[in-house]
Amino acid sequence: MSLPKLGAPTDARAKSSFTPPTPLPYGQTAGSLIDPQSLMAIKSLEMRAKVVVEGFWNGLHRSPYHGFSVEFTEYRQYSPGDDTRYLDWRLYARTDRYYIKKFEDETNLRCHLLVDNSRSMGYGSLSYTKAQYANTLAATLAYFLYLQGDAVGLLTFDEKIREYLPARNRTGHLRHVMLALEKPAVGTSTNLEAPLKRIVEIVKKRGSLVLITDLLAPIDTLEKHLIGLTACRHDVVLFHILDPAELAFKFEQALMFHDVESGRDLYINPADVRKDYLRKLEAHNTAAQAICLKLGIGYHRFATDRPLELALFDFLRERMQRGKKTKRTGTVKVRS
Amino acid sequence: MSFLAPMFLIGAAAIALPIVFHLIRRTTRERMPFSSLMFLAPTPPRVTRQSRLENIFLLILRCLVLCLLALGFARPFFKKPQPTNRQSDNGKKIVLLLDTSASMRRGNLWPMARAKAEEILGNVTPSDQVAVFTFDRQARQLVGFEQWASMNPGERVSLTAQRIKEISPGWYATHLGTAIITAAETFDEKANQQQTFGPRQIVLISDLQEGSHLEELQGYEWPRGIELIIEPIKAKRTTNSGLQFVMDADESTQPNTEASARIRVLNSADAQREQFQIRWEGVSGTDPMDVYVPPGQGRIFQSPKLDPGVIGERLILTGDDEDFDNKVYLLQTKADNISVLYLGNEMENDPAQPLYYLRRAFQQTRRQVVQIIPRRVDAPFTAAEIQTAHFMIVTESLPEEQIKTVEQFLKDGKTVLFSMKESSAAQTIARLTGSQNFTAEEAPAARYAMLGEISFEHPLFMPFADPRFSDFTKIHFWKHRRINTDKIAGARILARFDSDSSTALVEIPVGKGALLVLSSGWHPADSQLALSSKFVPLLYAMLEQSGGLKSQRSQYWVGDEVTLNSTNSPATFSISKPDGSTLELAKGEKFGQTDLPGIYTVTSEEAPFRFAVNLDPAESKTAPMPIEELERFGVPLKKERLIETAKQREQKQEQLLAAELEKQQQLWRWLIVATLLILIAETWLAGSLTRRGAVAAAQA
Repeated sequence: MSLPKLGAPTDARAKSSFTPPTPLPYGQTAGSLIDPQSLMAIKSLEMRAKVVVEGFWNGLHRSPYHGFSVEFTEYRQYSPGDDTRYLDWRLYARTDRYYIKKFEDETNLRCHLLVDNSRSMGYGSLSYTKAQYANTLAATLAYFLYLQGDAVGLLTFDEKIREYLPARNRTGHLRHVMLALEKPAVGTSTNLEAPLKRIVEIVKKRGSLVLITDLLAPIDTLEKHLIGLTACRHDVVLFHILDPAELAFKFEQALMFHDVESGRDLYINPADVRKDYLRKLEAHNTAAQAICLKLGIGYHRFATDRPLELALFDFLRERMQRGKKTKRTGTVKVRS
Repeated sequence: MSFLAPMFLIGAAAIALPIVFHLIRRTTRERMPFSSLMFLAPTPPRVTRQSRLENIFLLILRCLVLCLLALGFARPFFKKPQPTNRQSDNGKKIVLLLDTSASMRRGNLWPMARAKAEEILGNVTPSDQVAVFTFDRQARQLVGFEQWASMNPGERVSLTAQRIKEISPGWYATHLGTAIITAAETFDEKANQQQTFGPRQIVLISDLQEGSHLEELQGYEWPRGIELIIEPIKAKRTTNSGLQFVMDADESTQPNTEASARIRVLNSADAQREQFQIRWEGVSGTDPMDVYVPPGQGRIFQSPKLDPGVIGERLILTGDDEDFDNKVYLLQTKADNISVLYLGNEMENDPAQPLYYLRRAFQQTRRQVVQIIPRRVDAPFTAAEIQTAHFMIVTESLPEEQIKTVEQFLKDGKTVLFSMKESSAAQTIARLTGSQNFTAEEAPAARYAMLGEISFEHPLFMPFADPRFSDFTKIHFWKHRRINTDKIAGARILARFDSDSSTALVEIPVGKGALLVLSSGWHPADSQLALSSKFVPLLYAMLEQSGGLKSQRSQYWVGDEVTLNSTNSPATFSISKPDGSTLELAKGEKFGQTDLPGIYTVTSEEAPFRFAVNLDPAESKTAPMPIEELERFGVPLKKERLIETAKQREQKQEQLLAAELEKQQQLWRWLIVATLLILIAETWLAGSLTRRGAVAAAQA
């Protein structure tokens, strides 16, 4: 299945209200999704995450993903050395044979959320910024995974790493994650190198990595760093967050444009530079997408006016796809 | 149309600015934050094509505002054919003030001043009127306006220059204030007369030394329309120090022979040197004394010691550039010996008696030595004693012989004080006055009496006329005699007692002399007079009245008036000046020709008398004073030089005329009003255009 090209920088799309081409989850219509504008009006990040996730659950009642948890697969005859805890004593009573119960373990996910908190993320043409959107997205994912019993870790970064919370599933850990996400951004520029390098160092176990960023940095070294992640056989999903104004560049008046990251001022007449800008942005995005494709990384481009449920849905679908695509024999293990 | 300040028209070039601004696309200062400029390239501000000038009408209004402003500042006016200028024929009135004070004797200051004066005279036009004054202590007219007018126009300048050539600086001090006021008042007199003149100027040619006296300008209201132009003369060499004699107080009892004279050395503020020597002139065998005086300061030194018996009269300072003020003349004053005769049967050392107090009242000073010659009433004075004495005091009734002596003494024009210790002395007084009407009786013993009516206008009491000193209530008279002087011709009562209004002190003229009768005594039995602070001044006043005291000064400044006193005065004094000339002076006249420093000798029938005249010490302060000093006194100074060519003057006249016309027409006001109106229109138009643009943008 080809990845949806969300927020592709075409003029026509930018003009119309953003309509995701992704099929909606069962039982959900575009109208039933929560408008990000209203969502962002809720102050508490945790509350926002709850609203999204619960709405999502409601829509999942009849979804094919029901039972997306511990699932029994088969019995295996006990052989010495097996953990006796997993012996099926009832079957032993019936059959007088030792059998070990085998489960397909998909739920014990270790997911790290990597959130970009650089200044460029502080930009927003809507009533909220990209950073707020990204944080809500991260919170939503964290909450969702927490509810499922998965371990969630968080790493926020700008030009260097700001916050790091290792992946855990303890009581109260979610609260820490939310607090870390609510911290104001202080960084200036985006540097993907440091967080990616660091995560490779920290996370030895295979797991899932969700990278939420606007990718407004030179793309030359992106591939090199992402390779590191895939080489460790992490499942990587990249949410590329962009503001609708960045995608469409619909400014009219000639103005002094101020770069929030570098502080540089440029006098720009949008009418003159729009075409060139859109071309460059398109090239940048396409390149990023191509890199992700090449490395088997899930790439999702989001305009900040897109409902967050869709992001969650994309995330899950991505995971499902992965599950089907990859025969992960190694992932079958006894629940610990 | 003409312009008063055409240079402002250049300002009209500023209309290029709105045109350029209209051509340039509006760049805004507004800043739009954006996430990243990595995909954006800067847009250079673009100039639109001329054919696409926006808001032409607005542009025209803006250009018009600038043009009108430039036009307004250029002060336009319309030239009018002027009636023949009546004033143009009236030239300037100039008073040339030439400093001839002693400080102008320095170096070549005087030739320079003369050259400057000639230069100024050379630039005078035939229509100008000139008066020349010289000044030092006072201003003297050298050439008046009338004289100038009466001279042949062709010869005026040369004749005046000739007169200036004939004068030279004197030795007087500089009273610049007086001179300037005199010059300003010369104009005033003329202004009251008839026609109006052109500019009135005072041209001051002076070295403007620091020691010039300007106090006279204080409170002088400077007449309007008179300008002062200063032509300063500067000396090439500036080190100058002067010598000045410091007078000792009269009360000093130190004999002159022992105390060397004190002199002050003043160094000018712009001096280059500070080491000088002082030596006696005309005295051999004395070493010069080195003195150190920093610039701008004065120090007092003791004059170099002289050998005993040697008298030096001239001190000379060396080591500075100018020597006009380097000599000081000193005269050592000799104390006068004054005899006071005393008739009374008293012991000198008896504190209960008047003589005891009298001895102590007359102290020896460096000016006079008062010698009291006491005699008992029966012991006669020698003829020499009577001859030299001018004042006699009698306290007792006198025998016949003594009465005759005293009578003669009085007739010689001398003064006698009769202090009545007893009423019986009345007979003696009656004899002396030659009037039998003089009677006396002992006053009843009351508690005490005080001096009541005092005639303060009489020379005896004049020193006490000031309210600070006129309190006689602390002198109590325990006893006094009532004397009757009503019928005595010419008797003048100088003081009365308050208790019974009887006479306390009376002056009775006898012959040429005067008899003073005190109806009490000063000894403690009679009164507290001897113990009061009034006693000594009163005695000295009597001594002075008698002619015994000569208040002759021996030091004067150049230009001071000298009063010559003499009792046995001859008809004339003969005064020989330092330059050898001799002057005759009648009695009572004041000698004012002290125009040279030096020692003057007065000869008359009495012993020759000498006095020294020195240069005013202020003349030694030769550093130039700041010109602002004059401005401080409200004198309007004109900075530009007087010298201007006829063409320059014509141009100036035209300029003045133009300014006058422009002031009358005041077209600039209308231009400013028009500018303001256009500005209002421009503001309204720009505002409406902006609003329209905003509405259009909102609609789009």
